[in-house]
Amino acid sequence: MALDQSVSRRRLLQLIGGASVAATAVGTLAACGGGGSGSSSSGGTLKVIGVGDQEAGLRKLLDTYKSSHSGFDFNLSFAPADQVQTALRTQLGGGNAPDVHVVYPGNGSAMSMAQLAKAGLLADLSSQSWTQKIPDGFKGAFQSDGKTYIYSPGSSMLGAIYNKKAFATAGVEPPTTWSELLSVCEKLKAKGIVPIALGAQTPWITQLIPYALVPGTVYAKTPDFDDKMLAGQASFADSGWVDAMNKYLELQKKGFFNDNPNGTTYEQATSMVATGKAAMAVQVSAVLGAFRAASQTPDDLSMFPFPATDVAADNWIPAGVVVGIAISAKSKKTDQAKSFLDYCGQQENLNTWAEAVSCVPLYGDAKVDPALTLFLPALKANKAVPFMDQRWPNAEVQPTHFAVVQELLGGKTTVDAALKKMDEAYRKKA
Amino acid sequence: MRVRIAPPWWFAVPAILVYAVVVLYPSIAGAGSAFTDWSGIGNAKTFVGIDNFKQLAHDSQALGALRNTLLLTVAIVVVQNGIGLLLALGVHTGIKSRMALRLVFFAPVVVSPVMVSFLWKFVYNPAPDAGLNAALGAVGLGGLRQDWLGNPSLALWSVAFTVIWQCAGYSMVIFLAGLEGVPAELHESAMVDGAGTVARFRYITWPLLAPAVTINVMLSTVGGLTLFTQIIAMTNGGPGYATDTLSTVLYKQAFVFGKFGYSTAVALVLAIFVAAVSFLQIGYLRSRETAA
Repeated sequence: MALDQSVSRRRLLQLIGGASVAATAVGTLAACGGGGSGSSSSGGTLKVIGVGDQEAGLRKLLDTYKSSHSGFDFNLSFAPADQVQTALRTQLGGGNAPDVHVVYPGNGSAMSMAQLAKAGLLADLSSQSWTQKIPDGFKGAFQSDGKTYIYSPGSSMLGAIYNKKAFATAGVEPPTTWSELLSVCEKLKAKGIVPIALGAQTPWITQLIPYALVPGTVYAKTPDFDDKMLAGQASFADSGWVDAMNKYLELQKKGFFNDNPNGTTYEQATSMVATGKAAMAVQVSAVLGAFRAASQTPDDLSMFPFPATDVAADNWIPAGVVVGIAISAKSKKTDQAKSFLDYCGQQENLNTWAEAVSCVPLYGDAKVDPALTLFLPALKANKAVPFMDQRWPNAEVQPTHFAVVQELLGGKTTVDAALKKMDEAYRKKA
Repeated sequence: MRVRIAPPWWFAVPAILVYAVVVLYPSIAGAGSAFTDWSGIGNAKTFVGIDNFKQLAHDSQALGALRNTLLLTVAIVVVQNGIGLLLALGVHTGIKSRMALRLVFFAPVVVSPVMVSFLWKFVYNPAPDAGLNAALGAVGLGGLRQDWLGNPSLALWSVAFTVIWQCAGYSMVIFLAGLEGVPAELHESAMVDGAGTVARFRYITWPLLAPAVTINVMLSTVGGLTLFTQIIAMTNGGPGYATDTLSTVLYKQAFVFGKFGYSTAVALVLAIFVAAVSFLQIGYLRSRETAA
């Protein structure tokens, strides 16, 4: 025990050391001084940290669990995704992470289930009964080496969130093929409505249009593309990704985005669609709530699958397991935390969370948000592809993707060079 | 007559101990991870020798960031201190509102850099009817509207402008302190000798300001080389890699890519680089002070 402690203390000091070298570099002098943030865990209550997207569901379940379990209390905090990445990783490195914390499904980011499980930082949930109900197709997002490490309420659809009123003004209907999409955009533009709002200054927004297109341009033809990539038999630069990126740029060249997407943020793009200044934005259904909240007439907002090709049958949809929660392997309240996760896994509670974040429940036949109706046929026909990064082998591909898209939109690189850069990041070891 | 007694050396022991435990040990232990492939979490860590440093020499992203860092630093050192000096000279005169003006020019310095960055993000909103673009339109300069932070060729300079806007007041205060130390009688006798404003600045004020110049150039150089907050808050290094600096690269390597070992290597190189530049600078500027 004593040995254990001294080791972890040494590691903590090393981490501080690394940070202090970094601070020498990063911290600025008096005029532009920096500051640190810290947190400490208080006894008795379960410490939970999540990202903003989760709040509606997670808070609801914690509240209902608390009301039915006397003596249980929690301390819940939220932060934007990139801040969680920094603060939580530092806490994980120091061995004092919150008892229950946000984790991204699958692999591909520094806070993803596979990366953290590999480092021995997550508690094994395999003994919980709900884990038996995870559909086979989604197991990769939940499991590492056959053990389940993350809870997530279901899957989010990725497509176009659109403003029905704006569509009606231009007299158009949701398109089902790429050509129809172009003509819909043309008509919207003619009416003075921005066809597609794009807030590419916010890094994660940059990836959404490629994610919407590659199920059609890549996976419909090569469903095992991810396996081929891992085996080194395929590359981004020599695949349907080229077609997807060219289509992305075609939308820009035709003037279907707002001006200056690289200078526009997610929040600005959201408000453009919510107010009808723009007709649609390619987004995940998990943020439908945020769009509705920004609108005076929330019922005007709905979603349709963003078509990638002219063959309707090839237009597969991206559907990713939504960001979930896991239990820190070092938590001293593992039992309490596990019993809460077991509660989250019960069908009724799973449905509550799924509904709150507009996603399709992981299992069971609950009713889904009516805005997602157009996605269900593809989902039933097994034409859904998990979000691409969930099977990328390291945390570098996704940020590289963000950066090269911004460079493409800024006219600073070519599709070929951009995809080669992603290939280069992909080949780096985890 | 005063007798100086050197205090016994062991008086310093408690301070040295605290310094060793709080600063030296963690720094050295942390620097050690620059020679490993540690991910920042977990125990898995292998010694990789100087691989991280070799990789750094070929890392196009880090080299681009180095270029951006140097450009930013030069811009900040020259423009911030130039403006700071002009402001100091301006408010060092007898004008009535000088106290109020000093306050106004210094005010941005006391605001958190994150707040300033978010404020300027609004100012730099690319929409033609918002922020700076709206102001340009209102005065008939609509043709100059820009995508301030979204245009890869412009973003770095937009960030530099924000930093200068915030920190020029800080340079001003240091120059002002220097100006207060210039004896008035020197100016008076020079005036009697017929020296004009420019000549008096050139031969009296400027040489005597040398210590203030040293401090200001040093501080703004170190500030520029290590610039982080404003970039993360305004552009996150984007669009693409257009505004990445060494500090944002090391941050991303550690916390986004999960490569703590490599990140520490970048941090180590940056720390040595900053120290070397500061050392050379202070050597040169100090010699200038004595020459004056």
